[in-house]
Amino acid sequence: MQELLARLTALDTSASMSLRVIACFDELVRGGVNAHALLSAGASMAGSVAGFHDERSGRSMRVGPDGVALPDDAAAPSIERVAHTDDGLTVWIEKSPPLGMNDAMVLERLALGIGLRLGRNPPDGRRGLSSALDPDVPPHVRQQLLVALGLRPNERHRIVCLPLFATWHRHGHMVEDVVNTPFGPIHVAVVPESVIAIEANPCGIGVPMSLDDLDRSFRTAMVCLRLSAPPDVPTVVADDYGGLVELLAASHTAGPLLDVDPLDAIMAHSWGAETLDALVRAGSVRQAARLADVHHSTMQTRIDEIQRTLPFDPMDGIGRTRIGIAYLVWRLQHSTVLVAPPTAEQR
Amino acid sequence: MDAATHEPNPATDPGVAVRPEFDPELRGGLALVGGMFPPTITPDLVDFMRTSYAGPPVADLLEGRRITVCDETFAGHRGDEVVGSVFTADGAVGARPTVLFLHSGGLMFGDRFSGLDRVIDWVERWAVTLVTVEYRLAPEHPDPYAREDCYAALEWLASDADRLDVDPDRIMVAGASAGGGLAAGLALAARDRDGPPVCAQLLDYPMLDDRGRTVSTTQFDGIGVWDRVSNETAWRASLGDRYQTDDVSIYAAPARATDLSGLPPAFIDVGSAEIFRDEAIEYATALWRAGGSAELHVWPGGFHAFDIFAPHATLSRGMIATRDAWVARVLID
Repeated sequence: MQELLARLTALDTSASMSLRVIACFDELVRGGVNAHALLSAGASMAGSVAGFHDERSGRSMRVGPDGVALPDDAAAPSIERVAHTDDGLTVWIEKSPPLGMNDAMVLERLALGIGLRLGRNPPDGRRGLSSALDPDVPPHVRQQLLVALGLRPNERHRIVCLPLFATWHRHGHMVEDVVNTPFGPIHVAVVPESVIAIEANPCGIGVPMSLDDLDRSFRTAMVCLRLSAPPDVPTVVADDYGGLVELLAASHTAGPLLDVDPLDAIMAHSWGAETLDALVRAGSVRQAARLADVHHSTMQTRIDEIQRTLPFDPMDGIGRTRIGIAYLVWRLQHSTVLVAPPTAEQR
Repeated sequence: MDAATHEPNPATDPGVAVRPEFDPELRGGLALVGGMFPPTITPDLVDFMRTSYAGPPVADLLEGRRITVCDETFAGHRGDEVVGSVFTADGAVGARPTVLFLHSGGLMFGDRFSGLDRVIDWVERWAVTLVTVEYRLAPEHPDPYAREDCYAALEWLASDADRLDVDPDRIMVAGASAGGGLAAGLALAARDRDGPPVCAQLLDYPMLDDRGRTVSTTQFDGIGVWDRVSNETAWRASLGDRYQTDDVSIYAAPARATDLSGLPPAFIDVGSAEIFRDEAIEYATALWRAGGSAELHVWPGGFHAFDIFAPHATLSRGMIATRDAWVARVLID
């Protein structure tokens, strides 16, 4: 896996490798894997033997980068290692100091994981930001967690969500972490209310909220991220959709849904996506034609086709609202932003 | 539903696929490599994959190993020149058991040095001769280029056996994923054309069927490694207009073969959490029904090619050890 890490770094120098290391150990801890599995993941990432010694139980273990258990000669003076000791538990990587940045992060996360497995840390192994965005945690506790992370209590902030493989053009200092979601581990950052763009692609920026309501910003940021579609739409800001994004964040959008499913037939046309996009933005057929950069009669032909396909009239009354919401939900359902990295041209 | 804590519940949420969970150690591996091998590969990602999935420099592959590699050329499909790499253990002399290995990469990417780490161990451990083939890739070179380049490699090994340190009675065809499909097709073609004898076929999570009709094909959309869309991208690139029609050769999609008699012993391994699960199981079953020998292993919670992406994980080590034991049994003295 060290070789994979090296290749990842070579592929994308802006990739946040430390976030990937965090996400990996998060998954292992969430999955309840044993100490051997934790050590073999750490050893594999570091490309060297990893081990621990627990004074309480007298237990030691060493595992090589190939995942194979090694003889317990942890005390051998000839072994060079960098260790992390806390509460009678020593966790190490057998490399000569100083460690590189990735290795230091591997050791830190490995020590945390082993500590949890051996009953050293509190049972809720989640870090501050993760708990601070969980609506099941009481608001005052969430606020305390965020203040402890250095955020000002009287100011409003926004959550920014990105895939772990997002491309950063400039990565300033901000409160950030990996948070687990139903869509997998997500890179989450907190920015001041005034920030409506960051130099990373792709990303979703949530609505501004006070610290004890930042979970709402998180949910809207996730919707925005899934609405983004690089290279054309690398960033979506919640403000562009206002209350609609909050509605989508609170909704069950996994489908099948009444107004959404018929859109498949429209989206199958080469002109489908751009036409629907123009339609929901425009106030008239003429304006929609301008937005899509097609002739008025071409737009009218497409609209005729859409009206034939849909069980409601998207040009009239409540039909306009229905098509607008259905179009956004369709985009959420068909989002690929979390599965595909930006290609070279998109960077 | 809140995004932070609640997992989707497949039993109550419509639209959420019911599928085996990934093994927890393998989930950690996925988090680490996420994005390098996207689950969903569309035609526009093929160029990215050709960079991302390129094999390591051969010097890295051989570092610390007592192995010599030699590039050779032979006449591939239509007589065009194709490169094969011949790996031999230092000090090995005379005819050796030989592995003809066909790389992974959905017929569209990868090269003769991709995913070789496990296979190259056999050269050191048992002094086998290992031959890997730079078969030509789709969509630039659609079917039958890849499989006929591989068949030509088999004929080359047999005809030039003395010079290449190949024991012509002990040639095993092997491959992973798309390479596994090519290896199975090669065994069928050698049987039907009365070609060089193949003593065994090693099919790692093989890509056998363009028809996409199994349950497992549809269970992993957008997650893991290699989903339904990636598979369709690959088969379309290779088969073009013949995709999912009656005009697809059994040597391209071996799952279509109705007669699996007279084939060499097979080893098939696959993860329970990948789209190829069901076609791998069906192929093993069809081999047994035809009176053949097959050893089948389905690894619980394994995603596609998990032994390549997370070789340190417990499940991967089990898979690798089990596979090695079979190779030792069928190929080695």
